[in-house]
Order: sequence, then C-alpha cells, then structure tokens
Amino acid sequence: MADPDPVMDITGVSKRFEATQALSDVSLSLFPGEVHALVGENGAGKSTLIKIMTGIYPADSGGMILGGEPFNPRNSADAQRSGVAAIYQEPSVFPDLSVAENIFIGHQDQGVVVDWGGMYDRAGDLLSQLDIDIDPRLPAAGLTVAGQQAVEIAKAISLDVRVLIMDEPTAALSAHEVDRLFRQVRSLRDSGVAVLFITHRLEELFAISDRISVFRDGRHISTRLVGDVSEGSLVKEMVGRDPSDFFSRGQHLEGETLLEVQGLGLTGVFSDVSFELRRGEVLGFAGLVGAGRTDLALSLFGVSPADVGTIRLEGKELQIKSPQGALANGIAYLSEDRRRLGLSVEQSLVANITLATLDRYTSSLGLIDRNREREDAEGLRRRLGIKAPSLTTPVSQLSGGNQQKAMLAKWLNTNPKVLILDEPTRGIDVGAKADVHRFIDDLATSGVSIILISSDLPEVIAMSDRVAVMREGQLVGIFSRREATQERVMAVAVGVR
Amino acid sequence: MTDSAGMEAVARRRVNLGPDRVKELTLLGIIVLSVLMFSFLVDDYLSGRFFNRVTTSVVVVALLAAAQALVIFSRNIDLSVGSMVGVAAYLTGDFLGATEQGPLPAMLVAILVGAVLGSLNGALVAYGGVPAIIVTLGTLALFRTLLSIYSGGANILAGSLPSWVLEFNNITLVEVGGLQLRLVFVIALVVVLLLHWAFARLRWGRRIYALGSNPSAAAQAGLRTSSMVFWSFVGSGALAGLAGFMFLTRAGTISATAGAGLELESVAAAVVGGVSILGGSGTMLGAFLGAVLIDTLKLSLIRVPQVSEFWRDAFLGVLILLAVIVDVTLRNRFNRRWSSQARAAMEDSAPAAVGTARMAGGSGSADA
Repeated sequence: MADPDPVMDITGVSKRFEATQALSDVSLSLFPGEVHALVGENGAGKSTLIKIMTGIYPADSGGMILGGEPFNPRNSADAQRSGVAAIYQEPSVFPDLSVAENIFIGHQDQGVVVDWGGMYDRAGDLLSQLDIDIDPRLPAAGLTVAGQQAVEIAKAISLDVRVLIMDEPTAALSAHEVDRLFRQVRSLRDSGVAVLFITHRLEELFAISDRISVFRDGRHISTRLVGDVSEGSLVKEMVGRDPSDFFSRGQHLEGETLLEVQGLGLTGVFSDVSFELRRGEVLGFAGLVGAGRTDLALSLFGVSPADVGTIRLEGKELQIKSPQGALANGIAYLSEDRRRLGLSVEQSLVANITLATLDRYTSSLGLIDRNREREDAEGLRRRLGIKAPSLTTPVSQLSGGNQQKAMLAKWLNTNPKVLILDEPTRGIDVGAKADVHRFIDDLATSGVSIILISSDLPEVIAMSDRVAVMREGQLVGIFSRREATQERVMAVAVGVR
Repeated sequence: MTDSAGMEAVARRRVNLGPDRVKELTLLGIIVLSVLMFSFLVDDYLSGRFFNRVTTSVVVVALLAAAQALVIFSRNIDLSVGSMVGVAAYLTGDFLGATEQGPLPAMLVAILVGAVLGSLNGALVAYGGVPAIIVTLGTLALFRTLLSIYSGGANILAGSLPSWVLEFNNITLVEVGGLQLRLVFVIALVVVLLLHWAFARLRWGRRIYALGSNPSAAAQAGLRTSSMVFWSFVGSGALAGLAGFMFLTRAGTISATAGAGLELESVAAAVVGGVSILGGSGTMLGAFLGAVLIDTLKLSLIRVPQVSEFWRDAFLGVLILLAVIVDVTLRNRFNRRWSSQARAAMEDSAPAAVGTARMAGGSGSADA
C-alpha cells in the first residue's frame, strides 16, 4: 500500500463464547485509502471481529490500535466518536424521524434550539455528495434499503469516519444500486477512509477491493492484493475444500409444458406477463429489484391474485385466490424475506418443516402423529444438510443458511409441482449456497419445475435452463441458456438498447 | 451408526427439556420458595386450611389465565374477560333462579354465554381487522354497561339460587390429612391440562403457535389465519364463561360489577407464567402456574400482620416483580448454557459440512 502507516492495527485478537472459539489470534491491518475485503463462510468470525471493532464485545485477548493509539471502545457510540463505524445489510434507521435527523442523531448541535434549516442543508449536501436524491426532510420510513444505507454512509461521513465497516451492504440491492454504492465507497476510499467490506458475492470483491483477507473457523487465513487472487483460490481458502461442486448444474431433459401463464397482470404492479414452464425446468427470473418479479411470484402463489390473464397447470386453468389454493394445486413459494415471512422462529425446526403439511400427520381427531412427523422432518434435514442440534431446536438458534434450508424443507415437504424460489441464496454463506444450488439441480432432475428469482446474475444464469428478464413490471425477454450472458441479461434488465 | 443413534437419543432427551419446560420448572421452584418464605414469617402458615383456600380461590384466575393465554398465543389480547365473567355469572344466576337446574346445565349456559360474547370479539378482530386491544377495550366497557342496564342495579342473591350452588365449592373428591382436593380445582386443572396437551399435540394448537409466532409466514403456509383468530376468541370467551360459573358458585351474590378487574389479573398471571405477550410462545401449564403463584402471594400477604391493608397491593406488585426477575434470570442462565451447547453442536459438525449424506447436527455434543 502506498501509505506505510495503517490507520488500524488489530493484533492477536481472540474471542471465546463459552464452548465456541469465535476468533483465535487474529491480526489485521487496515490502511487509509484502501478497500479491504473480508471473506469467509458464516461462522468464520467476520461478525465477531466487526463487533469487537465497534465496541459491542470486548476481546478476550489481543489489542487494537487506531491512529497510533490504543483503541478500546466501550460501545458502538464510543467507537463512532473515535471514527469507527459499521453499516449493515439491513440498516437500522429510525423510521419516524426525518432523514436529516437520522444522519445527525447523537451528534447534532448541542444547543437547546435545533437549527433545523442548517441541519437540512448539511444533510442535503452530504446526500448529494453521495449522488443520491433523497429529501432530508422526509421521514426515513419510506426509504429503500439503498436509501437507508446512503443515510448511514452520510452519517459516517458526518462523523469523520476513519474506518468504515460494511457488512454485506449489497445483499439487498439491485445491480444499479450496487454500482452507485461502489461509487460511494470509492469516493470514501479516495478521501482516505479505510473501508472494510464484507460480501458473499465473489465478483463484487474483485470489482471493489484493493486487498482481500480470508477468514475460516475464526482464523485469519490470508491477506493478499486483489491482483494475486483468483476466484477459485479464494473459494478454496474460504471453505477449505475443492470448489468443484460450486455452480454444478446438470443437463436436463426437456419435459412437456407444465405451467402456462398468459397475459397475467395486476394493475399498477405488472402487466401482460406470458411464459411457459416445462416439467423439470429451471426458469430463472432476472431483473432489478422492483422490476415486479416478486409481485409476479406472489400472484402465482395467491397472496395478491392477478386481476387479468390466465394460469394453466397441466392444461387446466387455475383460479388461484389464496396460498391455500396455490398449495392445493402444487405451487409453493419460498419467500425472499425469511425473517418476516418465512419462519416461525420461536417454534422448533420440526414444527416449521411440517407447518404447511400438518394435515398429512394429523388423524381425523386432529392429533398429530409426532413420530411420522419427525421421520419426514429428519429425512429432509439430512437431505438438505440442515445443521441443528436436534429437530426440537427453535429455529431462532440456527444460522441464516440453515434457516433458509429449513424454509426450503417446509416447501419441499408439500411435494410441489412448481416451486418458486425467491432469492434463495441471499445472505447465506458459500457452503450453504452450494448446497442450495446442488439441491435445485437435484429437484429439477427429479421433475419439479422451478422458478428461480435471483438478483445474483451469475447464479441465475448458471442455474437456469432459460432466463426470463423483467423490467418495470414487464417481461422483456426470455433467453435460452446458450444466449444468456451476463452482459445481455443485464442490458435488457436495465433497458439498454 | 448405532453409536451416533445412541448419542442422538441422549441429545434428544436433554434438548426436550427445552425453554418451555425450564419456564415451568423455575416457576414451580419460585412457588415453593415463596411458600417456604412465608412459612417463616407466619405462624401456622403451612396448614391444610391454607392449601384449601388457595386451591379454591385460584380457580377463577386460573381459568382466565388459560383464556388469556389462548388469545395471547395467537398474538392478540383479550381485555374483556373480566366483563365476560360478570355477564356469564349474572345470566347464569338468572337462569338458575328461574329454572332451579343442576350444575351441568348451568355450566353449559355460562360457557355458551362466554362463547357468544367471545365470538363478537373474534369477529371484530379477525374479520373487521381492528386490533384486539382496541376491540376488547371496547367490549370490556360495552359488556359491563349492558350488564348494568340489564340488571337494573339489582343483585342476584344467594337466596334465589338452588342450594347446590353454595355447596359446589366445598365438594371434596379426596382428603389427605386436612388437604382437600376439591372438585372446582380439579375441573380447572383438568381443563388446563387438556388445553396444554392440545396445544402440544393437536394440529390447531401447533397452528396457533405458528400464527402468533409469525402471522405472515402462517398465511403463506396456507393457514386460514382469520378463522383461527376468530375461534381463539370464541375459546377465550367460553373459558371466561366457565370462570363466570365458578365465580357464581364462590360468591353466591352477583352484582353488576362482578369480575371487574380480573382482565388485568389474567394478563399478569399469563405473563408471569412465561407466556410471551408477543405471541407464539409459552404454555398453558405455565399460565396456570403463574395464576397459582399470584394467588398464593396474594393470600399469603393477608396473613402477614405486619403488612397493612393499604400496602398490600404494593407488596404484591413488588413480589410479582421479584418473582419475574428471579424467573428471567434463572431462565436466561439456563438458556445461555443451552444455546451455547447448540452452537457448539453446530461448530463440531462444521468441518464435515458439505456432503449430501452427512449426518447433520452433531447431535452428540449436548454432552459437552
């Protein structure tokens, strides 16, 4: 690096949670003006390191130096005052406060009377620096995830941040929002901030970072300049195993047409969507966030039924008015929002897996046959490789990847003919992702038709037999596997001619 | 294979002592603890008479705690249970005064009255889309006012009721050394145990937990959430009606204000009993134990001469808070240990993480 003095030096940091060694003897240096990517599977220790850097946990041993002085933040406000701030995948804004108040909360003018005009002006300046058009007077409630992140970045700038940690900031963003975020990150870097960037999307690492550090099982494995790293070597270091089964997609036999959607529309949301889905086919849906893909899925699943058009399954026209109706016809939907819509986290793993299929385990008197229920749940647990201490463990105790698999297990248990997967790998680690990919492949091979909605372009292209692209509520193109290149799909998705 | 199966069995046994069992056991411990404490403060405290008094007086609140838990599980609340008790008790008293029927028909009338009132709550919440707290705050006042108008200020007097009514509370099934197992307590206990079992083993119980835990997920899993909410309010009303019957047999005299204030006691009992006010977690047995704890504290305080009548409620409040703090502390300690074992289990299995046929779970590590 050009600057020989690191802004932050982490040396020999260890952290143990009872039986779990979360970090062991980790050392890392961050230089001003670099984007330093941190990668590793879930449980590799990245989150723990962030929490130590931002004062949420104290380290058991080892130390940190910030700008030449020992750095021992007592809490995140303390860390922020010293110039270390973190931005998360789902930012935590105060929805009822204005954008400007969110930016300056905790460090506004100390006077009794708030200088609203000045505050709005400064907030407006910060946001325009970030190239984002948000009215600082509006409440934060209406912001998109990208907007919320911009608010947090603006807050970090206003705090004169020296080290900015970004924990999977792109997970919920569409491609053009990612581009804008990257511009913001680069301009921060150019102004001398050290950015610690965490992502599961490998191609992003190469686009944004200067150096890449790999963590595995709480240990620091390597730190290298981006030019010295290849995707393959990186994945290998992260998982400590051969990445050959990553993105493995077998060849599929062409089945007969199973689902036929004609001129489907929902006023103000999407319109005139027509496509066919063959048996055992994976039909990818690419597009920007907000293009209407999830809305289309929710219509097919009966959550918000379409108001025009027809849906035919095996030649028979369906009137799907509710999720019950969809499930009865063999259509299941894995929601993109697992926390809000997917799981009952207080309930046990087995209760979640059988929630949609309880009828099958219930006698006419309503008594649940717990042995049969467990058998099926155990079978799915093994098939999907859900890591959990037992079937009775509350789902809240599982990691994100395992929660996602639990949700998948719930829908699989309905024996769907058509399985709609909405962002099935968002925010889960590389190992779990590979499991899900292999699983989609297996399912399709066994004759289930899959609609795969994903904002991860390489994923949707690699996994799909055909890729449908939506833009602003319209289906604007369907590519065969051979035609579907990232450039082509993206060009159609953003509307480039 | 046999080895891992054996380990799994061990793990399952351990893990089965999950959060709910821990809640119930700590609560039981706290009840025993407070009884011991009072036995040092009060002479002749540990007597058959005191046991009989608690087990009789707890019946109404125990049934209401169950009524409350039923709706709280589904992420709702029923603030009208106190008024429903009043209406059910009064109308049942009227019915008995007019017909001189026996206990069983009277009980059915009370339950029916409660269920009808509950169905109004349920319809407004489930199909009207009005939040439960608003609806039941409204019906709390509405039911009470209608009762005042209906009664015209007249009380139902013990003299107008069949003679069995006042004896009903004293019917004893078994007596061991002064400890009487009374019918009313057994009825309440059986109702609670049946509900407890139903919530653990029946489909609708499981579904109500799922609904309360995450309503949107429940809807997406194809559950008829509106009808579930409706019926949980009907059930809550029916239980409040049964509590109204019990109230009538205990009091003998019923005024238009009968049962006022019980709604808050029922919420307190459920929450002290470990029922999460956010829905989706807790057990019927827990709510029952919560009711027993509060009632025991209440009746014990009366026996402590140093506590004046004016201070009694404040003391009760402090004791309830103390009990909750001890409960939460113990439970957290246990849960932390438990979840760190869970984490360790997952970490242990991590290296073998990726094959299809892996034995997921590291089940054996609950031994750690």
